[in-house]
Amino acid sequence: MVFNSMPYGLPSYVFSPTWFYGFDSIIELIAIIVCMLLVYYSYKCFKITKENKYVYFSTAFLSLTFAFIVKIIGTLAIYKPAITRSALGSSIHQTFTGLTPYDINALAFMVYIFFMLLGFMILFLIISRLTWKNQRVVALLVYFVFLTTWISIIHYQLFYLTSFVLLMLITYSHYMNYRQIKSEKAKFVVIAFAILLVSQAFFVFVIYSRIIYVLAEIIQLLGFVYLLIPFMMIFKKKPKIVK
Amino acid sequence: MIIKRRGKLEVIADILRSIQNKGGKIKPTHLLYKSNLSHVKLKEYVNMLLQKGMIEEQQVKGRKMFFMKEQGHKFLLEFERIKEFSDSFGL
Repeated sequence: MVFNSMPYGLPSYVFSPTWFYGFDSIIELIAIIVCMLLVYYSYKCFKITKENKYVYFSTAFLSLTFAFIVKIIGTLAIYKPAITRSALGSSIHQTFTGLTPYDINALAFMVYIFFMLLGFMILFLIISRLTWKNQRVVALLVYFVFLTTWISIIHYQLFYLTSFVLLMLITYSHYMNYRQIKSEKAKFVVIAFAILLVSQAFFVFVIYSRIIYVLAEIIQLLGFVYLLIPFMMIFKKKPKIVK
Repeated sequence: MIIKRRGKLEVIADILRSIQNKGGKIKPTHLLYKSNLSHVKLKEYVNMLLQKGMIEEQQVKGRKMFFMKEQGHKFLLEFERIKEFSDSFGL
């Protein structure tokens, strides 16, 4: 459903069927947990090795975490109007008196788009072996993130299409990495990103049927679960202590 | 073929791995050729590992030996995890 009479022309998007209200938030909560684990461990790697690639990876997943948090806030504003009537909700409402749940949803969707694209863009930069030293390329890509966010606010499909293209490039790079190192864990990473890629393809068409949104969310959940598998496999290894 | 220089952590891991592969104890001469370092460099690294409590020096039948300590095993495990994480996620 698209509500067009938003401030500054921001449309508010609710793609979920009513019976699925809240379930998508749970799926996003699981995605947040997976992303936070990767943020934490990657930052820990950075603290030990002092290699910047880990801090970039951590930033990418932090951006995705933030995107999902904002999306949950935006959708809950619509799903659970009671929240806006709670003590915290009403105090926020008094501060921003002009904001309706639909305004919050519209703003949240904009922030969600920005941080999702930024996260995927950083992942693309890492896997393409680009660093902050390639300043002009990075600047151009960041400009594209802003530009896509701006246009996607009006044409939401552009956002999912851009995510799809970015994930396609990321998945391909991971596939090349898997072919090189031939590890089981790298295979799971390829599968995870391929599943996330499929979910983005479904998201492009959510406006045509609400059931597509449900399918897209479930596929996305599967993608994040698969991303967790190689991470858990690494930690299954126990210390080899020789007495 | 481009031969990549080992980083500090990789050198430490190689030293510890050499000790671990020898059953947790190694003679200084064996460590020297297993670690692929100069005598001066190896001494620097060994001193550092002794200070950090990752290895210990003991006399066995009047000969100097290096023994791996729990801290060393922990470091090696963590290093291998980081390497696997880095390889799997294409970092």
